[in-house]
Amino acid sequence: MKKSWRCFVCNDIHYGTKPPEVCPTCGVRHAYVEISTEEAQKIRLPSSAPFTKDDFRRAITDFASRNAFRVNADAERVETLLEGIFANEANHGLKYCPCRLSTKDFAEDLKIICPCNFLIHETYAGQEKGECWCGLFVKR
Amino acid sequence: MAKLMMFHGRECPHCRRMMPLVDRLEKEEGLILEKFEVWHDEKNADLMRSYRDILAPRCGGQLRTPTFFNPESGDVMCGEVEYERLKAWVKKNAAEGRD
Ligand code: SF4
Ligand SMILES: [Zn+2]
Repeated sequence: MKKSWRCFVCNDIHYGTKPPEVCPTCGVRHAYVEISTEEAQKIRLPSSAPFTKDDFRRAITDFASRNAFRVNADAERVETLLEGIFANEANHGLKYCPCRLSTKDFAEDLKIICPCNFLIHETYAGQEKGECWCGLFVKR
Repeated sequence: MAKLMMFHGRECPHCRRMMPLVDRLEKEEGLILEKFEVWHDEKNADLMRSYRDILAPRCGGQLRTPTFFNPESGDVMCGEVEYERLKAWVKKNAAEGRD
């Protein structure tokens, strides 16, 4: 089962089945201690400045730079998708994919939070010019 | 004429590309698809979800947009397709309901 963990040196929060051996923020080893979800939320709240579309754009660009795909060069398409992703977060709670629909089965809907695991999509896997279902990410 | 449905999302780029094709087809063929925007209208979303067992297996296991659906015959087509393919699907399905 996944739990919340806190680095007692720098207050990094990790959510997972086990804590990272090395804290990715401060680099200290074996520093994570298990905490409650409530505590994890409280720690994150004061610094939770709004995460804007531009923040997300930067995050996915950085994410893509470490992988074999890139953010689509079609800026208009990307803008449309980001609008949908943020509208879905505002209206439905999470950054759901604008090209699919949530089912109300929460575990199932975790699969359509952007960026999803599109490496398995039939529009990506095995395709020379693969892209995620929406075309937000394309193969380099 | 059989009732044909189109489920679409306002910010879905596939739907943006298909809409003008659907408009053109409706004019050329003198028919209308019933359109349901699913991310900004909960009633439409629930309607699409109510067909999940029929739609998802035909669309990669998920509810995806756009999805074209003939509720009478259960015929489904999803994703971005070329005009001729859309036309063929719509004409075939529209004809099915006629006596
Ligand atoms: S298909 Fe593309 S846009 Fe949709 S959730 Fe996955 S990565 Fe994001
Ligand atoms: Zn740390």
